[in-house]
Amino acid sequence: MYRLFLALRYLLTRPINLLSIGGITISVWALVVVVSVFSGYLHVVEQHVRTASADAAVIGLPPWAEWSRLSKVLRDDPNVAAAAPRLAHYGMLQRPGQRPPPAPLPGRGALIGGDQPFLSVIGIDPAAELETTGFAGWLVAPEVPPALRCADPAAPLAPRDGRPTVLIGLERMQREGLAPGDRVVLTTAALDTAPDGDKAPRKVQLELTVGGAFKTAHAGFDGNTVFVALDTLRHELYGERDDFVPEIAVRVRDERQLDATVERLERAVQAATERDSRGFGRVLTWRQKHELYLGNVAHQRGLLKIVLIVIMVVAAFLMLATLSMMVTEKTGDIGILAAMGGTPLGVTTVFLSCGLVITGVGIVLGLGSGTLTAVYLEEIRQGVRWATGVDLLKVDVYGLDRVPCYLEPVWMLEVAGMALLTGLVVSALPALRAAFHDPLVSLRGS
Amino acid sequence: MSTSPPVLAAEGVEKHFRLGRRDIPVLRGVDLQIHAGEKVALLGASGAGKSTLLHLLGLLDKPSGGRVLYDGAPVHDLPVAERARLRHQQVGFVFQFYHLIPELTALQNVLLARMMATSVLGYWGQRKQARAAAKALLEQVGLGDRLHHRPAELSGGERQRVAIARALLAEPKVVLADEPTGNLDSTTAKGVVDLMFSIQQERGLAFLLVTHDEGLAGRCDRVVRMRDGVVVA
Ligand SMILES: Nc1ncnc2c1ncn2[C@@H]1O[C@H](COP(=O)(O)OP(=O)(O)OP(=O)(O)O)[C@@H](O)[C@H]1O
Ligand SMILES: [Mg+2]
Repeated sequence: MYRLFLALRYLLTRPINLLSIGGITISVWALVVVVSVFSGYLHVVEQHVRTASADAAVIGLPPWAEWSRLSKVLRDDPNVAAAAPRLAHYGMLQRPGQRPPPAPLPGRGALIGGDQPFLSVIGIDPAAELETTGFAGWLVAPEVPPALRCADPAAPLAPRDGRPTVLIGLERMQREGLAPGDRVVLTTAALDTAPDGDKAPRKVQLELTVGGAFKTAHAGFDGNTVFVALDTLRHELYGERDDFVPEIAVRVRDERQLDATVERLERAVQAATERDSRGFGRVLTWRQKHELYLGNVAHQRGLLKIVLIVIMVVAAFLMLATLSMMVTEKTGDIGILAAMGGTPLGVTTVFLSCGLVITGVGIVLGLGSGTLTAVYLEEIRQGVRWATGVDLLKVDVYGLDRVPCYLEPVWMLEVAGMALLTGLVVSALPALRAAFHDPLVSLRGS
Repeated sequence: MSTSPPVLAAEGVEKHFRLGRRDIPVLRGVDLQIHAGEKVALLGASGAGKSTLLHLLGLLDKPSGGRVLYDGAPVHDLPVAERARLRHQQVGFVFQFYHLIPELTALQNVLLARMMATSVLGYWGQRKQARAAAKALLEQVGLGDRLHHRPAELSGGERQRVAIARALLAEPKVVLADEPTGNLDSTTAKGVVDLMFSIQQERGLAFLLVTHDEGLAGRCDRVVRMRDGVVVA
C-alpha cells in the first residue's frame, strides 16, 4: 500500500509532473486524432475505389487468350457470379478539327485526374458489364442531369448516327461542354507485330459520337476514363482477332471468400493460358489492383505515425528528466523506508508507480480528448473557419463535404500500449537507480 | 531474570567494510543480549561502531561474521524480503535526524508504518482502525493538535515525537534508538527521553539506546560500552 500512497504523494506535491502528463497526453492525442483523420480518408477513398471497380480483375493476358475459353473457365468457379471482357487502352479525346490539348505538367492531376489529356480508354461489352460491375448505376447516377444521360441505359454503347459511341465521365463532359450526340475523335496508337517479329506503332483515329455521361463515386476514375464498345476498340487495335481478351472483370458471389477465389482463379487462368509449360495472366482483387492508389494514403498515414511517435519520444525524455530529478531528491527517504520494512523491490515500485500513474493519466486524458476531437472535428473545423477564416483541412480534394474520421479501436489500443511501454521503460531507469541506492547511506548522512 | 531467550542477541558479530583494496574492521566480535522490558544504553566514542551494530541488529545490514538472533533464532542470514518482514514486525527505529518524509503530514508519516506491510485492499479494510491507532499514538506523544502538520512545520522535538510514534505503530518488541536526542537541546531532549521511557515501561519493550550522554545512560537498566569494535563493559 505504501508504494502507491507514496507515489501519489510524491507526484501531487510536484506540479512539474503535470508537464510529463501533458507530454504523454499530447502525444496520445495527436496519434489518435491525426491517424483517425487519415484512416477516415483512406476509408472514403477505399469506398470510392470499390464502387468504381469489379470485385476482381484478370489482367496481363497473353495474345492468345480467348474469351470463349476463359469465360468458361471463370464461370466454372463456384464463387464467380459473372465475368465481363475488357480492353484497357490509352488515348486522347478531342473535337474534330481541334488540336489535342498540350501535355500536362508532370504530376498534375495524378490524384483526381480530369485536367490532363491522356485518358484510359476501356473497351467493354455492355451486356456483360451490366451484370459484372456497378456500370448500370453509373449511367443513371442522380448527379447526371437528364440532358447528359444515355438515350438507352440498357444499350449505352449502341452506335449512333452510324458511328460507335463513347461514354465520358460527368465532370469532363461538363468541363468540355460536350453533350450526347456530339462528335469526338479518339486518337490512340496500336502496336503491330510484323510476320518477322518486329513491332511498329500505328496511329489510330476513331470518330465517335458521345453517348452520354457516367458517374462513380471515384472522381479519379471518372476524370481519367472513357468507355467504348469492346468490339470496336479491339477491331481497331488487333484487327481480326475477334475472340482475344486482354483483361476480364469478375463479380463474385461471396465477397468474404474473395481472396481465396482470386488465388483459385489465377491457377485456373494460368492453366488455361499455359504455353511452353508456363502460365500467363494474373488475377487481382479490387484492392490489389488499386494498391498503388490506396497505398498512397496508407503510406502517408504510416509516415505521419512515425512523425507523431517522435512526439512521444520527446514526452518520454521529459518524463525521464522529471522522474530522475525526483529520485535524486527522494533518495533520502529510501533509508527510512528500509528501516520500516521496505525492500529494494518495494522502493523500485514506488518510483515505477510514479511513472505509471503519470503515463496512465496521460493515456486516459489523451484517448479521451483525442476521441472527442476526432468525433467533433468537423464542428471544430467550421468553428475555426468561422473565427479565423482558415480552413484547417481540405475536404473537396476527395469530393467530400465533411472531414472524414474513422476511429480504429485497435489503433487506439496500440497507442495506449505504446505509451504504456514508453512510460514503463522511462520510469524503470530512475526506479532501478533508487533500488540500487544503499539505504544505509541515507540513514548515516543527514 | 526470565528463562526465555533474549528478544535480541548478538553473538560474536563482526563487520568489515571494504574500502578499495583495504578491509576495514569495524566490529570485531560483539556479544550483546537484550531482554524484554530491558533498557540498555550503548556508549562509545565516535567511530566505535555503535550505529553499525544497530543496523546489524535491525537487519538493515548483514554481519561479516557472527550471528544475530531474535527470540533465540538466528535471523541475520534470511533472504532480503524475510528480513524486511521481521524488521517491520519486531523492530522500531528512531534516528538522530528523524527521517520523516517531508511530503507527508505527521499523521501520514505515522500511518506509513502500517501501510508498509499491507496491500492496498488490505489497508482499505483496516484504514479506520489504523487512523485511530496512529492518532492515539500522536496524542500520547503530545501532538494531538499537530496531526496535519508537515515536518517542515514542526520543531525538532516535535519531529522526534512523530518519529517515535511511527516506530511504535507496528507494535514492535524492540526499539533501536540511535542518538535520538543528539539534535535536541537538553530540555527538549529530557521531554523526549521521558516520553520514550514511559512508553517503554508501559509496553514492556526491549530498548537499545545509543547515546553520548552519560546522564541519560545512567537512567537505563544497563550500560554497554564499546571501544574499537568490541564491547568493553
Ligand atoms: N559503508 C562504510 N564504508 C566504510 N566504512 C564505514 C562504512 N560505514 C561505517 N564505516 C566506518 O565504520 C566506523 C564506525 O561507524 P559508526 O557509524 O558505526 O560509528 P558510531 O559509533 O555510530 O559513531 P558516531 O558516534 O559518530 O555516530 C567508522 O569509522 C566509519 O567510518
Ligand atoms: Mg552513529
